[in-house]
Amino acid sequence: MKYIQVFDPALCCSTGVCGVDVDQALVSFSADVEWAKQNGARIERYNLAQEPLAFAENVAVRSFLERSGQEALPLILIDGEVALAGRYPTRAELARWAGILAVADPIPVTPCCSGSSCC
Amino acid sequence: MRFLDHPPRFLFFTGKGGVGKTSIACASAVELAAIGKQILLVSTDPASNVGQVFGVAIGNRITSIDAVPGLSALEIDPQAAAQVYRDRIVGPVRNLLPESVVKGIEEQLSGACTTEIAAFDEFTALLLDSALTAGYDHIVFDTAPTGHTIRLLQLPGAWSGFLEAGKGDASCLGPLAGLEKQRAQYSAAVDALADPERTRLVLVARAQQATLREVARTHEELAAIGLRQQYLVVNGVLADAAAANDSGAAADVLAAAIGRREQAALATIPDVLKTLPMDRIALKPFNLVGLDALRGLLTDTAPIDAPEEIASQPLEAPDLASLVEEIAADGHGLVMLMGKGGVGKTTLAAAIAVELADRGFPVHLTTSDPAAHLAETLTESLEGTGATLEIGRIDPRVETERYREHVLSTKGAQLDDAGRALLEEDLRSPCTEEIAVFQAFSRIIREAGKTFVIMDTAPTGHTLLLLDATGAYHRETTRQLGDTGLQLRTPMMQLQDPKQTKVVLVTLAETTPVLEAAGLQADLERAGIQPWAWVVNQSLAAARTRSPLLRRRAANERELIDAVAEQHARRYAVVALQEAEPIGADQLRRLTTATGAPSW
Repeated sequence: MKYIQVFDPALCCSTGVCGVDVDQALVSFSADVEWAKQNGARIERYNLAQEPLAFAENVAVRSFLERSGQEALPLILIDGEVALAGRYPTRAELARWAGILAVADPIPVTPCCSGSSCC
Repeated sequence: MRFLDHPPRFLFFTGKGGVGKTSIACASAVELAAIGKQILLVSTDPASNVGQVFGVAIGNRITSIDAVPGLSALEIDPQAAAQVYRDRIVGPVRNLLPESVVKGIEEQLSGACTTEIAAFDEFTALLLDSALTAGYDHIVFDTAPTGHTIRLLQLPGAWSGFLEAGKGDASCLGPLAGLEKQRAQYSAAVDALADPERTRLVLVARAQQATLREVARTHEELAAIGLRQQYLVVNGVLADAAAANDSGAAADVLAAAIGRREQAALATIPDVLKTLPMDRIALKPFNLVGLDALRGLLTDTAPIDAPEEIASQPLEAPDLASLVEEIAADGHGLVMLMGKGGVGKTTLAAAIAVELADRGFPVHLTTSDPAAHLAETLTESLEGTGATLEIGRIDPRVETERYREHVLSTKGAQLDDAGRALLEEDLRSPCTEEIAVFQAFSRIIREAGKTFVIMDTAPTGHTLLLLDATGAYHRETTRQLGDTGLQLRTPMMQLQDPKQTKVVLVTLAETTPVLEAAGLQADLERAGIQPWAWVVNQSLAAARTRSPLLRRRAANERELIDAVAEQHARRYAVVALQEAEPIGADQLRRLTTATGAPSW
């Protein structure tokens, strides 16, 4: 089972209501993570404002922050390797990484990669 | 005093800054100790003079007060508690992560929520049965947690995310994740609060309509989450003092006018408060420092010196007109009045607007005070004078509700019940209202390039820093998308430019309001905004009165006005307490004209 780590930007409310606008991606992603966990995925989220030590202790994350700054978050690692940065994964991506096959909910279909071998 | 009749174990005093919560809490603790009870007094007042009152250095540990047998005290500084919390989170990574990242984290942890949750964390232990509090019959708090904090702690969704796993979906409960207490302890603390057998909440107000309305809201909010045993105390009633002792008051125009205003406020007290047991405490001529003064607070008034014995050097301070003079010199710009509720921001904003309109400038006055009737009378009274004053109105409740609805119907649509409840509670946070109102205001701000725009509110530095983080992101996005010719200025950039924006801090000549204003100033400075001026409003020292009691209080104001002038403000003005509620252009003009020397 792959281990997915999500390094979130610093937010006092991760729903983002403290910002100028609520980030839909954040709200949806929270729901997707919950769904993936229920389907057995191993996912951990770290909020920069609450657990900065988790960022500092991980070499990959720390050098990412030094290189690209916190504006480039979120950062997603799979088994310690950088898998995605700058946006949250879709439910389909999460499912693929976590190897969730039998899906009760319909997975939003991404134009190119869903189940085909085109990429 | 009814609120001290058969009190339960926990007594909480709540009310806005300056109404006298800390003094009443101290006096109550002294009174309960006098009947042989063991009392622990807990103060969170940043202006806490509890140590000074009892002649003992107290601080963040339980200290017994030798002068009052049976009394111990503890001072909690919520700011310091929040700082300890920030240090615990940020300290270990300070040299490991880039400096900009560390600064960003610190800002996220600098909001009012963090301070409040950190203070609640300090409370928690005191609300539980433990060796720490075992010896005390009563524990008296000079503050109470807000409804928002308690509701968050009651939400099962909040717990499942944070405290059990220690991480997960964030919400305004975020700050709790790093605190040491366990879920069971927080739950037990909330249970103790909601148990009328154990907890009594005393709402402290003044005999003023705005304060009573605010207290009514607090009452409803806390009653809804179980704090049903509530008492009301109306503090500082001049009429009661006058009837008892201040014989000079009857003949004094100002004292009579204040008395009438108090009567009107008490006669129209909000319905929800009418059923509560109520006490009234007469206005005292003295500052509540020292044990004798405290003992006198809940009992009869002490005799007041004859007026001639009270120092009556006229106050020499700049008036509002001198500030308006400087504002007018720039020909246009944004003027934002900032201060805690009840200090008179809306009235002063209207006074500045009228003065600028009188000088022939086009002015846009925008108010967020839904109870302000001054705007209605204003346009009429300026008719035919050739002055152009446009009045806009933003209702914070409407704006916040619109924002909530928008977020819930779009972003919250797919959430499950627990997630939705958490999002709804996040949207009830004080930040949400500030952001919703500020967004509404920012539409009007753009006009300030050509005309004068006067507003009776301003965002806090914390909000601006959070908004600017998004602003920076927007700039980045625009850059990446290529040059669209669109120049994006964040609200922060405009507010930081003194050529465009003047922030005026409004306060009263009382200890807590001055400290609160200084806190707002420090917060703005963090965001790179230097408040342009301070206005000390509703000053007795600048008013004319023959009432010995009011003159005594006027003399007490001097020290605070000096502190504003010398320590806090770059420039300042003092506005006298008015006989009549300033409504209409003529009365507003009186606020700007010279306070002059009272002719006693």
